[in-house]
Amino acid sequence: MMYLGIISSLLWWAVIIFVIVKLASGSRKKHYSWLQRELPLWEEKNIVNKEQGDAVLSLYKLKRVTARKKMDMVKVLTLIGVIFVGLGVIFFVGSNWQRIPSHIRTIMLLAITITTLYEGYFFSYEKEGFVNLGKSLLLLASLFWGGTIALIGQIYNIPTSENWYIMLLWAFPIVPIAILFKNDYVHILASVLFVIWNFLYGSDNNIANYYYPSIVFLLMLPTAKNLILSRRINIIGLLSASLYCCFNKYEWLALLISAGLLVGYLAQKEERAYLYAACLSFIFWDITYFTVRQLQPNLYFLLPLGFMLYLTYRDNIEKNLVFCLAGLMIGINLALSSVSQIVNYPFNGLQFTIFQLLLGLSIYSVGIASRNREYLFPVIYKIIGYLVTFICVYLLAFKALLGEWGGAANNVYLFGSLILAGIIALLVVDERRSGNFNNKSSLIELAALVVALVGSIILLVSPRTVLLNTITMNSVLVVFALSSIFLGVELKKPPIFTLGIVLFALFIITRYIDVTWALKEKSLFFIVGGLVILFLGTFLEKQRRKIIERMKPE
Amino acid sequence: MNKKLIFIAVSFLWIAVAVGLIISKQHIIRTGKTILLETVPVDPRDFLRGDYVILRYKISTIDLQQIQSEKSYYGQGEKVYVKLEPKERFWEAIAVKTKKPVSDNGVYIKAKAKYCYNKKLELNYGIESYFVPEGEGKDIEKNMRGNKSSVEVEILVDTSGNALIKKVFAQ
Repeated sequence: MMYLGIISSLLWWAVIIFVIVKLASGSRKKHYSWLQRELPLWEEKNIVNKEQGDAVLSLYKLKRVTARKKMDMVKVLTLIGVIFVGLGVIFFVGSNWQRIPSHIRTIMLLAITITTLYEGYFFSYEKEGFVNLGKSLLLLASLFWGGTIALIGQIYNIPTSENWYIMLLWAFPIVPIAILFKNDYVHILASVLFVIWNFLYGSDNNIANYYYPSIVFLLMLPTAKNLILSRRINIIGLLSASLYCCFNKYEWLALLISAGLLVGYLAQKEERAYLYAACLSFIFWDITYFTVRQLQPNLYFLLPLGFMLYLTYRDNIEKNLVFCLAGLMIGINLALSSVSQIVNYPFNGLQFTIFQLLLGLSIYSVGIASRNREYLFPVIYKIIGYLVTFICVYLLAFKALLGEWGGAANNVYLFGSLILAGIIALLVVDERRSGNFNNKSSLIELAALVVALVGSIILLVSPRTVLLNTITMNSVLVVFALSSIFLGVELKKPPIFTLGIVLFALFIITRYIDVTWALKEKSLFFIVGGLVILFLGTFLEKQRRKIIERMKPE
Repeated sequence: MNKKLIFIAVSFLWIAVAVGLIISKQHIIRTGKTILLETVPVDPRDFLRGDYVILRYKISTIDLQQIQSEKSYYGQGEKVYVKLEPKERFWEAIAVKTKKPVSDNGVYIKAKAKYCYNKKLELNYGIESYFVPEGEGKDIEKNMRGNKSSVEVEILVDTSGNALIKKVFAQ
């Protein structure tokens, strides 16, 4: 029953997350990119001059975008043609056509490959006006080269468990074309081949592949400075290699990749993907560290995390804060889990969830403090804090879960929770003392926060009173929904108001399913449930529209 | 850098890699000793090289309690040398070593440990794939059904222990 309740509300979750994300940035960003696109046109038509244009952009902290180059149709067609022919040859090799003896096939394919390479060189550098054709032919030669190697592998029955070796023999010899002929297509091809090689190498040999990050950091990334696509493929390749470490316990490899990505960001700050990848990679390293040595909490993780947070603030990179907060939450939980194992405390679902709830509340409180002190990113802190808190409160509002999750206490999580509750209380008191809760909206926010805090403390000190705890958490859920509704009206922000309505509807539907699913008469459950949803939905939607209409400035 | 020189250098590199790969395999063909092995296989497809038959040999699993071995456990990916000797029609494993003895003139085949469980060692010899023209894998597969496979494989093993498939007999 309880699982059905959770599953049935997944759809609602999607709606909530969508609304929250939209609330933070989505719609605003759309307007910004529209403005960035339109501004050059206004300048062209002399509606605004360049200085005014710059002033508008600086008002919204936007950069001037240059119009994208139009796709050259001939270039695209040539490229598609080349890829088709190249794949055709590889499939031809795959068909293992045996009417021509194998050594003649090999010589023929090698000759075609070298001839294509020559033609690529010829059209790129000897004959003027055919640069694009030359570039495409060099890509074709690189694909043919793969075919040649595959053919030799096939003739000598090199086993598929050694495909990594075939991939390496394909990738490495085309690197000079990518770098010395500055061919971006071949650079991309080589990058993709190295990613595939890394996975084949890992699965076939079952050892950490230190060669892959070395090749990427020393060869592929430095030569991809101006090739965005290739650079990102390599960064994603490194990130996937780091993720792979979690499953294979390669802690040093994960650390090496993370550090390399961080250096990459410091060397090329305009590529933010380096920082995002470094942040995620350090998280993977922390997870790997935990899987390798469960009895040692990874305190070293705090160093890169702190540095990453510093860079996020220094360079004002909003998105990276999300990764940093995820890292912080994962890091704290893994450390507490290690400590629990050392002192031999079992896992306790209830205390674990309350701890996450308090973590969410702490993050939200940091958002409040950041807003009041005009620090960066208050909205991101609030969104993440809200999401985490809400998920936990929602789960804890299921009576069945509360009953099931009891069991032996884990004092590590209990103390952790109490410390977090203390931090939140201190933050709130400090804000109150500074006179920052002086208007109605911040008081509503404060009320919801205090209710959630008190609710979680009740659950912490009295985990076995299932009925009381269920009522407490459902009350917190209702307070969340109502506070969002009031806050939306007070701040005249329709998205927050809508969020409140959605939460309220979600609460009613979940509880309805929760209570009535046990009934034997399932048809009645669906009919009544459907009708309730229809009426409630229509009613709430009408009220919502009315109030939003009223919010609009006259 | 002179682009023509780059073209010439890359051409040479590609020819050298291709020829090097061919030579390393031809060396086994030239110097290798022919050996007949028993099999058990299935029929999948390689994304690069088309249809192939997976071959599993009787010597792919070695019972370390029955066969003379330097160690009682081998880690995943560990390199070993298996000594082979003819017994009736087929060659069979008689010893597992971590290094090939210099003084021994017997046939040693190089292998990589897949896993070792319950004193049973699973090995890869690099001769587990046999590439066939499209669709023909099914014919070979037919000969492998039932408890006993009727497929026999003739391989070549050089003095360093590298092996290569010479011929597959599907009766």
